[in-house]
Amino acid sequence: MDPDAAQTARESLDLAFHMSNLLDTGLDRHTLSVLIALCDLGLNPEALAALVKELRREPQLSSSPPTYAVPSSLP
Amino acid sequence: MEEEDQQKVSDLIKELVLRLLSQNPTSNPHPIDRNSSEFRNSLRYAVRILSSRMTPSITPDASAIAETIKRRLATQGKSSQALTFAELYTKFTSKTGPGGVNNKWAVLYLLKILAEDRKAAKTQFDSSVLLPNLALNDAQTGINSRVSRSLGSKDKGWKNGVLLVSKDPENRREIAFREFVNLVKEENEVCEEVLVRDVLYACQGIDGKYVKFDKNADGYILSDLVKIPRATRIMVRKLSELGWLFRKVKGYISESMDRFPAEDVGTVGQAFCAALQDELSEYYKLLAVLEAQSMNPIPLVSEKVSSDNYLSLRRLSVWFAEPMVKMRLMAVLVDKCRVLRGGAMAGAIHLHAQHGDPLVHEFMRRLLRRVCSPLFEMVRSWVLEGELEDIFAEFFVVGQPVKAESLWRDGYRLHAGMLPSFISQSLAQRILRTGKSINFLRVCCEDRGWADAATEAAAAAGTTTRRGDLGYGETNALESLVDEAAKRIDKHLLGVMYKQYKFKEHCLAIKRYLLLGQGDFVQYLMDIVGPELSEPANTISTFKLAGLLETAIRSSNAQYDDHDILDRLRVKMMPHGTGDRGWDVFSLEYDARVPLDTVFTESVMARYLRIFNFLWKLRRVEHALIGAWKTMKPNCITSHSFTKLQGAVKLQLLSTLRRCQVLWDDMNHFVTNLQYYIMFEVLEVSWSNFSSEMDVAKDLDDLLAAHEKYLHSIVEKSLLGERSQTLCKSLFVLFDLILRFRSHADRLYEGIQELQASRTMESSLSSREKSKLLRLSSDKASEPGSWISDGRKALTQRAGDFFRSMGQELDAVAKEYSSLLEGFLSQLPVQQHVDLKFLLFRLDFTEFYSRSGPGL
Repeated sequence: MDPDAAQTARESLDLAFHMSNLLDTGLDRHTLSVLIALCDLGLNPEALAALVKELRREPQLSSSPPTYAVPSSLP
Repeated sequence: MEEEDQQKVSDLIKELVLRLLSQNPTSNPHPIDRNSSEFRNSLRYAVRILSSRMTPSITPDASAIAETIKRRLATQGKSSQALTFAELYTKFTSKTGPGGVNNKWAVLYLLKILAEDRKAAKTQFDSSVLLPNLALNDAQTGINSRVSRSLGSKDKGWKNGVLLVSKDPENRREIAFREFVNLVKEENEVCEEVLVRDVLYACQGIDGKYVKFDKNADGYILSDLVKIPRATRIMVRKLSELGWLFRKVKGYISESMDRFPAEDVGTVGQAFCAALQDELSEYYKLLAVLEAQSMNPIPLVSEKVSSDNYLSLRRLSVWFAEPMVKMRLMAVLVDKCRVLRGGAMAGAIHLHAQHGDPLVHEFMRRLLRRVCSPLFEMVRSWVLEGELEDIFAEFFVVGQPVKAESLWRDGYRLHAGMLPSFISQSLAQRILRTGKSINFLRVCCEDRGWADAATEAAAAAGTTTRRGDLGYGETNALESLVDEAAKRIDKHLLGVMYKQYKFKEHCLAIKRYLLLGQGDFVQYLMDIVGPELSEPANTISTFKLAGLLETAIRSSNAQYDDHDILDRLRVKMMPHGTGDRGWDVFSLEYDARVPLDTVFTESVMARYLRIFNFLWKLRRVEHALIGAWKTMKPNCITSHSFTKLQGAVKLQLLSTLRRCQVLWDDMNHFVTNLQYYIMFEVLEVSWSNFSSEMDVAKDLDDLLAAHEKYLHSIVEKSLLGERSQTLCKSLFVLFDLILRFRSHADRLYEGIQELQASRTMESSLSSREKSKLLRLSSDKASEPGSWISDGRKALTQRAGDFFRSMGQELDAVAKEYSSLLEGFLSQLPVQQHVDLKFLLFRLDFTEFYSRSGPGL
């Protein structure tokens, strides 16, 4: 990336981080950057949000083994 | 490229999952191993979630999302943060180009959802809100159960059902509200909305679902079977009163409309119905607005509770307050006016308008203005044009078809029942008179000039002669219009009467001829007609008398009078029986044509006739006495012709003569004074009063009254009135006596003349001529008092006898006369009319009678 783009990206991230703090989302900078990247790649933001919520509140994920079949293909 | 993206995505996802797990506060303290099963499970789960939804459920509009976020911040009370956010957003969006975020909306949306969820997680209100868009199907129930179980184990006092977080007042209020709503729903079988609608229907006279009109109870009632709390029932009942009133008013209107073709309802009634219908249309407008309102729910602040409709029963009762008052008024009026019509209806409504409340006052004023407009119209056309357009008999002036001469007196009259109470009696009289005058002018006088007077009057009063200018509440304007019209029309009428029809001149003519004011004419007439009238009545021809009347007119000053007046003077022979002399049936009459016969009606002329008879009789007596005087001239009796008579006879002669003279004097005094009294104290005085009243008379009614008074005073004062009937009879007896005296006196003097003639003849004639004379006079031998055939002695004896008999007769007459006169005079002071005292004064000037008679 060229320095301008990097600059822009950094500033955008800063702004987004600021906004997320305002809204009290509880996201840290790194997670936010990952999320932004994923959004930019076209993923559904609703799905991402759900994922975030789920993973946040899921302390006993390891308690029960999954009984479902994982789809092999990724979108 | 896609592969690259895919790889990127998976890497990023892994990264994300790692970070999130490590972030998790309740997770294992040690860092998560990438290869742990936990991680792998999470990863798989993450992938699953991400693949389940491909497209977002909202439109990718970044600014809208930003707006939403801002608003949320603002409503939460964090307005400064909202402003900061706005700033940030603007900066964020300006970062375009490489390095910038392309799907800004996505980022914003993500942040928004995360913020909401985090907030919701903190409050933990409803489990269903946490994952609003997650569509879990049956295959994933394992996850679901896991989710709920995990949620359920969260130890924040979260339970299924109603939350009991006591520290949050907002929650409790809302819960309580919802409980109440449920309670109300249980109690009411029928919801308020339906009741409101029913009430609105009832107020238009239509039966609703629950509120129906009950004929027995005569009202709109709610059926007892319907389960409704008592308070609501009462309120519905109160509101339905409006419906009952409405029904009554509407019923009256439709009834009247049905009766229109039958012409039973007058114009005032029609106006009343129209005014009521206008008010009802206002009422309908209000009801339409209310009905529209009853469909709209009111927006409440708290959206969590189901809102009531905007229009509740209580709100209805507030809205209905004013229409209820008006409708009640209308119902009362309808009840009052059911049997009335015309002016009576207007009067009844007017009585109700005397009210202090300005609303009622204004309402009644509007109503009355409409109702009285036909009446005022009728008044206007009557007063300005004399037209009576009254098909339904509603006006207070009633006309009757009569002959022209009684048009003024009987043609029109006031109908008190139809007189509205805001028109006073005097105003009504003036209205009647004005219209009557116009009609009188039009019919009797054939005069068209009153139309100008009418327009002048209207202009002066400030209105025009067009329709619809006057209204109720403008009674003053009406009065002024009537006054102006009355003034002008009356003036015009009187002008016409005086100038065109010469009322004054005719009155004067009547006075001069019928009341024997023209002395010389009367004298001539008496002279000429007198001998004729001594014949029996059925032998007299009217035609001859008319000719004699003409002669009399021509030979007196009457010939210089107006021809028109003289034409009207005629001889009239009254209906007579056998034995009547001409004197009893002769009279003059004056022909008064239209329009003067309004004043000189049949009855009035009959009274004039009576007066004429009396005056004529009086004149006749006077004439007789004057005739007697002519024969009593002392020159006829020269004493030298009687020197040869014997002393006794001479004495008798002289005493008889003397007695005759005295009696004559007495009678003359009486008759003269009576005549003068009648002439000056009665006729002239009354006439001058009448004249002055004629000058100040303002209208024909005044004239009629003045004339009536004039005649009445004449009749009363000349002893022809009802109270003086005995006096009148004695007076006539006196007159008869005087006439008898006249004949006696005539006979006396005839006798004396014969005696004189025989004496002179005897002294101057030869026997031959005497015998001739004797033969001539022998034809008269059967007559009493012819003594020429006898000799001197016989002559003397005859004379003596004659004088004796005459003297006796005269004595008898004298005695009778004096007694009658005494009786007459004694009755005079008892009379009530003050002027008769003047008669007594004149007659008894020297108190001769009062001293001689004890009765006075």
